[in-house]
Amino acid sequence: MSMEFKDNIPIYLQIQDYLFRQIATGKMRPGDKLPSVRALAVELTVNVNTVQRALRELSDKGYIYTKRGEGNFVTDNEDLIADSQERLVNRELAEFVVRMKELGIGEDQLVAVLERYLQEQIS
Amino acid sequence: MSDVLKIAGLSYRMNRKEILADVDLEVAYGKIVALVGANGAGKTTLMRVIAGVAKNYQGTVTVAGESSEAGRKAHLSMTDNLSAFADGRRIREVKSFYEDVFADFDSQQFDQLLEFMNLNAEDKLSSLSKGMREKLIIALAFARKTDLYLLDEPFNGVDAMSRKKIIKSLLLWKPDEATIIISDHVLDEIAPVLDEVVLLKDKHIIKHKSADEIREGHASIEEWYESFYEGEE
Repeated sequence: MSMEFKDNIPIYLQIQDYLFRQIATGKMRPGDKLPSVRALAVELTVNVNTVQRALRELSDKGYIYTKRGEGNFVTDNEDLIADSQERLVNRELAEFVVRMKELGIGEDQLVAVLERYLQEQIS
Repeated sequence: MSDVLKIAGLSYRMNRKEILADVDLEVAYGKIVALVGANGAGKTTLMRVIAGVAKNYQGTVTVAGESSEAGRKAHLSMTDNLSAFADGRRIREVKSFYEDVFADFDSQQFDQLLEFMNLNAEDKLSSLSKGMREKLIIALAFARKTDLYLLDEPFNGVDAMSRKKIIKSLLLWKPDEATIIISDHVLDEIAPVLDEVVLLKDKHIIKHKSADEIREGHASIEEWYESFYEGEE
């Protein structure tokens, strides 16, 4: 596990996002145990308080849960994971739409452009 | 149990020259804090006053509830530049000196720190590179179990690999409730591990902010810091 941090975005948000992606993409499976707070801090070279804050937010949203004395685990709630995947897809799409617009491709052309691209990729 | 360090109305003069004026500062337990400012801003002096090494200041300094110099010293560990040790001294001799002087010096932990830093107890001080020497200084500071760690410019002249090692060692060996104050005049590599930044300029503490607060304003800590020196180059 390693990541580069942008220094102009709060780091707990970046860690939260990183772990959220690990869960949404299935790199971390339901019920998987997360590394300890200190291990995460050392691995990512960030403050323990920062890791704790990121985990607290993920736990508030239900993506992870804490077993007293045992550590943090990825949620077993399949619906929530499916939902997180959908949110991740939507977020990527939103970004894609914005970038295409910057290139002069409006919403009405998007589907056609994408279909053509995919066909070219296959053939 | 709220503040590990409390400074009120601190002023300090050396040879009639005012170094620190009206310094107020409160730092909570369990934090990693950078003390930044240009060279000569008074960072080292402030640390020496906190540590009870620089005397004859005005104002009050309290560490873990203790304001006497002896009381404060029992609750803090400050990096020592080892200038009192002859070059021919071996690391194990420095260690035994520390064992004698500091009741809270944990020899086993020191050995673990040495191993982590890839240092050998038989090495002479004269054989250490700048980076190795600084790693030794950090190992000595963290072998004590205390409330407040004062690290005076631990990255000065240290190569990138050693800097990384030092930062990791802080994260590994800092007791949960303890606070670390690190002085530095640049802020690149330590930025991700900081909770707070204290900026010392023109004898005063002009800013004390949380790292997240700075980043929420969409500035990197480095940019934020440099903005206070614009037009001065």
